[in-house]
Amino acid sequence: MTGKSWRLSRRAFLRGSGVSLALPFLECMRAESGSQTPPKRFAAVYFPYGVVARESGAAAAEWNWTPTGAGRDFRFGKSHRVFEPLRNDLTVLGGLSHPKCRKMGGHDTADTWLTAAEMKEGHLKNTVSVDQAMAMRPGSRTRYSSLVLSTDGGVGEPTRASTLSFNRDGAPVPSENKPRLVFDRFFGANPDSLAARRRQLRNSGSMLDLILDHSHSLRGRLGKLDQAKLDEYLDSVRRIEQRVERSERWLEIPKPNVDASGLSLEADDSTPAELIRTMYDLIYLAFQTDSTRVATYQLGNMNGATSIAGKFPQLLGLADNMHSLAHGARRGDAGAEPLGRWHLFLNEQLAYFLNRLKSTPEGDGSLLDRTIVFYGTSNSQTHVNENYALMLAGGRGLGIEHGRFLKFDDSMPLSNLFVTLLDKMDAPAQSFADSTGELTAVSA
Amino acid sequence: MASPHPALWLLLASPALAAATFESAVAPVLERRCVACHGPATRNADVRLDNLSSDLLNDRRAAETWHDVLNAVNKGQMPPKGAPQLTPEERAAVVDWLTAAIRNASARRRGTGGKVVMRRLNRVEYRNTMRDLLGLDLDYTKNLPPDELSRDGFKNNGSALRMSPLQLEYYLEAARRGLRSAIVAGAPPRIVAHRATETVADKVREHWSNRLGRTGTFVARSDAFPDEGEFLIRIRARAELPGKHSPYPRMRVSLGYRADTQTPSRQVALVDVTSETAQEFAFRGRIEEFPRQSRTQSKYPGLLIWIRNAYSDGRPPPEPEEIVSESKGKKKKSYVWREDPQFPKIVVEAVDFQAPLYLRWPPEHHRRLLPETPGSPAAELSAAEAALRPFLRRAFRRPVEEADVAGALEFFAKIRPTAAGFSQAMRETLAMVLISPDFLYRVETAQGRERRLDDHALASRLSYFLWATMPDARLGALADEGKLADTETLAAEAERMLDDPRSWSFIEQFSDAWLDLEGVNRIAVNPNYYPDFDPALKADMRRETQHFFAEVLRKDLSALNLLRADFSLVNQPLAAHYGIRGPRGGSFERVSLAAAGRPGGLLSQASILLSNSTGEDSHPVERGVWVRRALLNDPPAPPPPAVPNLAGAEDTVLLPLRRQLERHRDNAACAHCHRGIDPWGIALEEYDAVGLKRERILRRDGEREALHAVDSAAILPDGHAVSGLDALLDYMLRNKSREFARALTAKLLAYALGRSLELGDDETVDALTRSFIDGGYRLRSLITMIVTSDSFRGGSG
Repeated sequence: MTGKSWRLSRRAFLRGSGVSLALPFLECMRAESGSQTPPKRFAAVYFPYGVVARESGAAAAEWNWTPTGAGRDFRFGKSHRVFEPLRNDLTVLGGLSHPKCRKMGGHDTADTWLTAAEMKEGHLKNTVSVDQAMAMRPGSRTRYSSLVLSTDGGVGEPTRASTLSFNRDGAPVPSENKPRLVFDRFFGANPDSLAARRRQLRNSGSMLDLILDHSHSLRGRLGKLDQAKLDEYLDSVRRIEQRVERSERWLEIPKPNVDASGLSLEADDSTPAELIRTMYDLIYLAFQTDSTRVATYQLGNMNGATSIAGKFPQLLGLADNMHSLAHGARRGDAGAEPLGRWHLFLNEQLAYFLNRLKSTPEGDGSLLDRTIVFYGTSNSQTHVNENYALMLAGGRGLGIEHGRFLKFDDSMPLSNLFVTLLDKMDAPAQSFADSTGELTAVSA
Repeated sequence: MASPHPALWLLLASPALAAATFESAVAPVLERRCVACHGPATRNADVRLDNLSSDLLNDRRAAETWHDVLNAVNKGQMPPKGAPQLTPEERAAVVDWLTAAIRNASARRRGTGGKVVMRRLNRVEYRNTMRDLLGLDLDYTKNLPPDELSRDGFKNNGSALRMSPLQLEYYLEAARRGLRSAIVAGAPPRIVAHRATETVADKVREHWSNRLGRTGTFVARSDAFPDEGEFLIRIRARAELPGKHSPYPRMRVSLGYRADTQTPSRQVALVDVTSETAQEFAFRGRIEEFPRQSRTQSKYPGLLIWIRNAYSDGRPPPEPEEIVSESKGKKKKSYVWREDPQFPKIVVEAVDFQAPLYLRWPPEHHRRLLPETPGSPAAELSAAEAALRPFLRRAFRRPVEEADVAGALEFFAKIRPTAAGFSQAMRETLAMVLISPDFLYRVETAQGRERRLDDHALASRLSYFLWATMPDARLGALADEGKLADTETLAAEAERMLDDPRSWSFIEQFSDAWLDLEGVNRIAVNPNYYPDFDPALKADMRRETQHFFAEVLRKDLSALNLLRADFSLVNQPLAAHYGIRGPRGGSFERVSLAAAGRPGGLLSQASILLSNSTGEDSHPVERGVWVRRALLNDPPAPPPPAVPNLAGAEDTVLLPLRRQLERHRDNAACAHCHRGIDPWGIALEEYDAVGLKRERILRRDGEREALHAVDSAAILPDGHAVSGLDALLDYMLRNKSREFARALTAKLLAYALGRSLELGDDETVDALTRSFIDGGYRLRSLITMIVTSDSFRGGSG
């Protein structure tokens, strides 16, 4: 690190932030951790059902998600032109997938996109997701360990999860889908006095202790299946105890004062563009204020029968819901365009997010330079669990080299990339799930 | 040939029979078509089918291979091109057996052995229970994540419902929020009152008026308002009706404030105004449930009450006319809204706001929770105990154990020294009770040799089944006296509970899960096809089906009315949508469909038809799947992975969806399953995406348009030919009423028990179905039979 502080002057910060921020200044300008190193951040954004992947030469192939060419010499298709100005901040990855997930059901793989676990009938248990492995790394000192978002909220059901994140036991981490709730949690002021809040936190601690003690007698009365349910409950109690401790550490530090007036906090599933942008705004603000360093966002789950996001393309004037667009993309010359246009829309939203990060200076570079964004899906064409459509953006300051289209063959597990990313995020691991090594090609 | 035939599915319940079917029907086909390549001599792809175990339940590796076999056959990859292909009969034998065997094996592995798993309260149950326990109807669940759905679509399935730290944090937050309202502290607050007879005038370009038509808002502003407590809004208003049969205007009342650019608010009420002479309307709510202004922000001070006319005839509100006038050399702009004389209007005469409301201090909800107010520190512990004993009894839905009381008192004693007062310490103590597992979960432990639930667990199960809330005082007393297990008492209680308005929670939750009524929210209706469609109608569609189900239940009509009826329950917007005569207001009333040109019953209702459409056109496959799943309890197998590209590149966009999907059926691999699914949906082709009868099917693609004739002729899986909904219903009533009765029985039992049914439940379901049919398909007696059945009264392990 150079001698120059990564922390920004307040003025530079306000210039770049795009939303007005009031005094007092933010956590990241406070040097709470005492460290001079700016934070490293990771966001993973997922969309379901795969992409347009037609044979090259076909008229429909202009809507292919994957670029043509290879290495530095590649050309984006129509849905990716919005990334042209960001070309040197991103890398398209071809050919990667999770080997164990290849034989899972065609709509079963959203759960395992960040975990690489094999889930199938009779064995629906997942394992830790890479974002949570990062969130758990020692020395993580933000107010919240992660921000988990989705369009549908909650956890969904196994193989149709509505969250990308799974804790170290493989239990799903519920996602938030209401911008207002996320805002209040991360930035909302608590009207109670400091003393009252401290008292309440202490009470919470005692409450949870007592419940843990008391539950032993209940456990004795239960059968095996019930005990497993109770254990899930008790595990949740223990984990909030940790959160309570974390909150106590943060009690006297006010939440960052973020002005909500530029945010559409009431956006819901009737206005997809507004909703998705607001969620990106919230991730951006959470990163910028160093409230958390890890975020995931699932844009639609693969439960075509219940996902509230299924209709988003229709609300934008496209002819069909998400699921049918993906199926239609394989039909005829005209089938590819609607799905391509939907991905163009999604890409525009991502580009908005990346541009916000990029236009916010931090230290010698931008916020984007120290934020790794992993983007894509767990299908190539719909139902095909191989050759995932994937992109890596940002993180040049963390040693990632960009501006390339990297192709791998199916002997390279996607988990190898996760091992590399864990390392870059200071959460080094010998291995992750079924990894066979590192994926050094993304490194500078 | 039907795809996975129900009889075959039942047959597989017996491993011996399954093995026999395999030997007689499946093995010979494999021998003939597959073993040459996948046998002892050449083991292509390392797969041998000559000696692969047919016991999918116990041999997991074999089950995996069979799954691959099924996929390869379904996709048409096997037998490979050039090799002799399967005949349709051979394909059916292999596919049916494998589909059923895989489904059977996975259902068994997933099963809980017929046991109910300790069940977390779901959102509806939690909200109702908190309401009954605290005596305040607040939105306790607004922050809770959505509930997990079970495979069979229920939100009250113990295995599916999960817990997480986030969820538990929100429970604690909701408990604290609720108790802060329910238990008061300090002196009686001052009561604020405000009266307005004219709307507030404003310079902004909005139409603020006492007379509300297509446009117009009446705004009352109270500069003083409390931060918490119950409020009362009384509105004196009358209707202006353009004609004798004119629809009623609907008054929407909201409460909130004005910020810089937004006006955060929440609806208080939505009611019809039916009289041309002024009437008084009274609405209550809790002020802390509504958006409030921070006291420091004073640019637009005050609490605002908005009143608007929510009636809609589908036409957009008029644009204001700009009028420019000059006075003292200055130009001044003003706006005029021309109202349609034919539009029903509301005239607001006066608005009264009063808060907080209380007759005595502390208010009743407080006194119920804290019966004693300690006069001295020494009296506090006994006052706490006097509050805790009845609260724990009700919260835990069972007799209180001394350890429960001791634990809560220990907590009270621990936090009391730092608490701001007795009330504050009690709020925290009760909050602890409200995040205990005994409150958040229903623990249903079986007792004795017969593995029966005790009376308290039984009271809970009954209460959550029919009311989705905790037992009331009467059920609690019956359980205390040990009388509830008596069969006659149990049946009589079920009857009483069905007559109680709280049974609406059952109607809502059960019909939503069984019929998947939330589906209306998944579909975006395309305005290019339905320019007049108002998305607010989706909620009315869902309500129609719920009210319809409620009518059949409460009037004790034959449940076959659900298949075909000569009536439905609609409100004014829905009647206008269907183009039938109906009520003049927003509430639902029974209407005869005799002259409506369409049969009644679930399959003719817009909720079902829209949920299973694309938002542009009908979706015959989705509709077919819905019929199989909901009405016949015979859900088709999910599509195989990697559905092959459909051949042909020609333009299909302008074809009706039915024709586009037919190309699936041209593919031999797809055809087998789709023959068992699509006909059920094709018979409904007379109805468009929004549930209206159609003569022609319109397709659009940019500027291009095509009109197609409706073709609703279908050959059902058993060979019957039907054309149209009427004929389908004739057929179903004649040939499928037993299957329908069984489907309804199975769904109801699964809901009542809070778990998925398993093969071991078949006998119970069969017996219940027989009695249900013999008794004339009466839902009330089916419910009574379920409640008094051994399954309902049995506990978990």
